[in-house]
Amino acid sequence: MYGKGLLKGLKVSLGWFLRKNVTENYPDEMPNLPDAFHGNPIFDYDKCIACNLCVTACPNRVITLETETVAKKKVVTAYNFNMQYCLFCGFCQEACRPGAIRFGKDFELTKYKREDIKIKFVKPEQVEKKKQEVLQAAAEKEAAQKAAEAAEKSEAKATEKPKAKAVKKPAEAGAATPNNNMEES
Amino acid sequence: MDLRQEVYTLNLGPQHPSTHGVFRVLLTLDGETVVDATSVPGYLHRGIEKIVEDRTYAQVIPYTDRLDYLAGMLMNWGYVLAVEKLAGIEVPERAEYIRVIVGELSRIASHQIAVGSMASDLGGLTGFIYNFRDREYILDLLEMLSGSRMTFSFMRIGGVASDITDEFIGKTREFIDYFPKNGIEEYNNFITGNEIFQARSKNIAVVSREKALDMSLSGPVLRASGVAHDLRKVRPYSVYPHFDFDVPVGENGDSFDRYYLHILEMEQSLRIIEQALDNLPDGPIMAKVSRNFKPPVGEAYAEVESSKGILGVYVVSDGTTKPYRVHFRRPSFINLGHFDEMIKGWKIADVIAVLASLDIVLGEVDC
Repeated sequence: MYGKGLLKGLKVSLGWFLRKNVTENYPDEMPNLPDAFHGNPIFDYDKCIACNLCVTACPNRVITLETETVAKKKVVTAYNFNMQYCLFCGFCQEACRPGAIRFGKDFELTKYKREDIKIKFVKPEQVEKKKQEVLQAAAEKEAAQKAAEAAEKSEAKATEKPKAKAVKKPAEAGAATPNNNMEES
Repeated sequence: MDLRQEVYTLNLGPQHPSTHGVFRVLLTLDGETVVDATSVPGYLHRGIEKIVEDRTYAQVIPYTDRLDYLAGMLMNWGYVLAVEKLAGIEVPERAEYIRVIVGELSRIASHQIAVGSMASDLGGLTGFIYNFRDREYILDLLEMLSGSRMTFSFMRIGGVASDITDEFIGKTREFIDYFPKNGIEEYNNFITGNEIFQARSKNIAVVSREKALDMSLSGPVLRASGVAHDLRKVRPYSVYPHFDFDVPVGENGDSFDRYYLHILEMEQSLRIIEQALDNLPDGPIMAKVSRNFKPPVGEAYAEVESSKGILGVYVVSDGTTKPYRVHFRRPSFINLGHFDEMIKGWKIADVIAVLASLDIVLGEVDC
């Protein structure tokens, strides 16, 4: 019968009138996104070790990383994410071992102003705080080292007075202990 | 009384929704009949082949997504296959199986667009929506794995980015159960069986077997003309020899056959996915590839059967971290080469239907 196919198609359509909607009521209902989703980039300043791997992994040169060396340690002074060129491939996230750069689930990334597209993750106060921390840590380390050296010297002087002026090196002293243990066991 | 008759030219596109993107055809018409046609592609040219010369081998992968953006996984695959061939990298078997699963899912998603857009171009927008409904399942599945809905960047040189989870396997099996009954059957009832659709597509723009071979057409367009040429069967790559599937072929080489092959191929893809899930081996998903990957000096050409036809990728290495030259043989572009010939003598309404049956993606045509 000619027109049978049309009726069949109509039946399919009518069948769907009675079924549940398959559409989502976005934006009233937000979509249920998987964990792997590449949405907004999130940067964790404290986790970043300034290895530059995300910068080299990026196919579109979106990320710029600036560092400053403070007390022999790299301190991140700027981490800029130029969103307009981002391909959302997730290569930066994959390259980052400490998990400092990752993607969140927010996909509504439109901005009112063009300059807002470029994200500057690092704030000056964060850098200052980090610098202070690094300097403090370095100072503490130095102080601890000095104290340890002084203690060792005084210890060496105390124990090895009979052996005149020869100052024992710490390496020898350290090496001696495991041998002693082995003999004991 | 003698009426003066003359032909006129009409610009179809580049901003016409039925050209599937920014494709332009200069039609010379005699009334409604096409006398001559000149395709003008290039409006979406981004110079990807040139861009990737300044990218490292791994960084090329996101750019391949943007060729045929309806089947991003297959585009990834073509490229990584060429680089692996160049560097002689052995891909773990589990990674190959995952590639087959995601590749076939991508193929189904791409074919759904082909089927749906054919329906919508012939005036049945409802058919388009049914296809999009089911495509959403696949996009959700692939999003779960790769984090993106279309531009997956999922494959890596030497493997894949992440392993598939039990949740993914469960949902894929659900889809395999759901799709033939609720998807394919509905398309057949709704689009294939529709008399108006058949009248508009059967015996339209017939491509003979010889002509198809001469024009080096590939994919469903070639198979519709009766040539059983599917790279997965004739020059198997990856783990395709492990799977049992058929290569459907058309009889007449008309628009209808080109359309219907997409539906038949969806069924075969489902079969492959099911077998791959059943026999999924354990093991690693990445071969050992150094971060500063430098393939040896040389060149390699690899081909995959993409959803549109044969995707060939040619990579030349000069021993540095960046490819010296990358060339993509894009099936849509080559298939489109025969379009001017095909539409000659047909009515202007058929032009749209023929273009839809060729299933082109402009991202791939213009590269």
